[in-house]
Amino acid sequence: MEVFINLIARAFFMSTPLVLGAVGEVIAERTGMMVTAVEGIFLIGAWGGFLGAYLSGNMLIGFLTAMACGMAVALIYGVTTVYMYQHQIVMGTAIAILVTGFCSFFYRIIFGTPTTPLTVTPLSDIAIPVLSDIPVIGRILFEQNLVTYLTWILVPIVFYVLFRTSLGLTLRSCGENPAAADAAGINVQRVRFLAVLLAGVLGGIAGAYYSLCNVGMYNAQIIGGRGWIAFGICFLGNWNPVGSLIFGIVFGISEAVGTYVRALGLSSVPSELFSMLPYVLVIVLTVCRKNLHVPDKLGVNYVKEE
Amino acid sequence: MSRNEKKIKGDGFASMLFWTAAAIVLGLFCSFIFLPLIGVNPLDALGIMITQVFSNAYSMGNILVKTTPLILTGLAFAFTYKANLYNIGAQGQFYAGCICAAAVSLGLQNRVPGALVLLLAFAASIVGGGFVGALIGFLKARFNANEFLVSMMSTYVITYFMQLLLRTVLQEEKGEYLQTDYLDNSVWLPRIIGGTSVSLGIVIAVAAAVLVWVVLYKTSVGYRVRVTGMNQDAARMAGISPKRQYVLAFAVSGAIAGLAGFVEVNGMQHMLLTNFDTDIGSYGIGIAILANANPIGIIFSALLFGILQVGGTALGHYSNAPASVIDLMQGWVMVFVLVSFFVRRQLGVRRMKHQKTVSGEAA
Repeated sequence: MEVFINLIARAFFMSTPLVLGAVGEVIAERTGMMVTAVEGIFLIGAWGGFLGAYLSGNMLIGFLTAMACGMAVALIYGVTTVYMYQHQIVMGTAIAILVTGFCSFFYRIIFGTPTTPLTVTPLSDIAIPVLSDIPVIGRILFEQNLVTYLTWILVPIVFYVLFRTSLGLTLRSCGENPAAADAAGINVQRVRFLAVLLAGVLGGIAGAYYSLCNVGMYNAQIIGGRGWIAFGICFLGNWNPVGSLIFGIVFGISEAVGTYVRALGLSSVPSELFSMLPYVLVIVLTVCRKNLHVPDKLGVNYVKEE
Repeated sequence: MSRNEKKIKGDGFASMLFWTAAAIVLGLFCSFIFLPLIGVNPLDALGIMITQVFSNAYSMGNILVKTTPLILTGLAFAFTYKANLYNIGAQGQFYAGCICAAAVSLGLQNRVPGALVLLLAFAASIVGGGFVGALIGFLKARFNANEFLVSMMSTYVITYFMQLLLRTVLQEEKGEYLQTDYLDNSVWLPRIIGGTSVSLGIVIAVAAAVLVWVVLYKTSVGYRVRVTGMNQDAARMAGISPKRQYVLAFAVSGAIAGLAGFVEVNGMQHMLLTNFDTDIGSYGIGIAILANANPIGIIFSALLFGILQVGGTALGHYSNAPASVIDLMQGWVMVFVLVSFFVRRQLGVRRMKHQKTVSGEAA
């Protein structure tokens, strides 16, 4: 039982950055923009978060740096795709290469080649009084870190804004029928651009979660495809923040199980099989899932008549 | 999408060359501007890159060695791109090809004649990569699974699978590292230029580029693939089954990426190890885009990436600059080349408007 509770608590812990990234992706994709730079945004978030927190000794500054870095990458992505009509998938790949080089290059410039890995103390958990005393659930839900709590608050807010307010309608109309939105006086390009920036900020926090909450250090392999998993969660969650939360937890579980099995060191079960579990899961779920609410103009750049 | 852009024509080959060159220069500028931070003069850096790269036959040969697999992964992306599909998983198909080539070579070397082993490894890598590709195409055709996501994820699955094999059945006899034994001399692709490590691989890669060009533009198979990419409905009306084209395009794309595995394992590395050429798939995407998915153009853009890689490595050897400067250069160059597409498009639009007003006044 103890093991099980730990495992589930760990699953929720690991789901946070995936949910954050996926919610950002949902907002952007609802306006018609696939943020394929998400892997790069996660990586620079992890890098920027570590940099800020290590140099200042302050977690908040770390996360703010990560947000700024994520937004900067989203800015490059947004300008080139929204305003320069470049292909979204292609641009995402270019940015992934650029960010990989950038992070390694500047890590080296700032820190040189340290003999022992540089670390920060990971963000501590906050046990919510009273609630955390509830058996089982208390340990799982109410002994998490601040970022996780904020993410849980963010999900219903984004859901409400997207589907119950006129702002949400504006956002979604840009993804469903940009020409009509344009005719209705909405500045489609600006809406899309701002949505991409917001996804960049959320992705930056998500990336920093790996360096600041999970391991307390940075290396070039820290993200290892998790940005793409967040991207996949957005698809699987049917472009809905609540769906993203559910699938985020599913992937949190698969990551937690993988970590657990690797820690057990069973020789009979190859650990690689568990490492590949989340990725296999994306493929299987993509195949099974019928995409019902794919925004009509997803991935199609809106070119205004000239 | 990018299809819209192609309607606006009017800038020729010279303009394309000019703007691409400008983008490359700007990309290098943006990467070198940070070098003073680690005490390297950017001009010296450029000097080192040029003199070291073109100083001797060996490093010039290295450019071709680096170029070889890049041509193939570039072609792999281009082939699906022509069908308006996105094969982001060339890295995984490359690994599938690597595994097949290494397994066949290690299993058969010294038992059957080397040339025969090479032929079999060649075929196995194509089958291995092609199988993975076809599977992705099948999932797309049968279940309408998003090929972009599936191909992306397949890379990670195959990477772990390869790691598993390298830890178990394929591991070297010493059992120390996650790598295979060295391949026997007899199953190496023959070197074709003395004093360099350039193997027959470059010939295979260039031949593949020419073949892909012929297939895409001169045969009905390629025509069907391209029509499907341009307009699915039109293709269906014309009796072309788009679903069959999905599987076909992905299978061919995977096979080409798998072939890259063969030329790398048998032609360059002569063994297989973990974290082997980890970015070759994404470089391929960049290379294909640089060449606007033209198979012949891909040869030249792969050459550019080859020069940047060898130049960047030389820079690391002769100065303080870290190896990550290579990715920085490649990333900036890709971003600026994409921006140059936009600039050319805007120039085309302006030219068209100008023509309109001129002809309007005449009337």
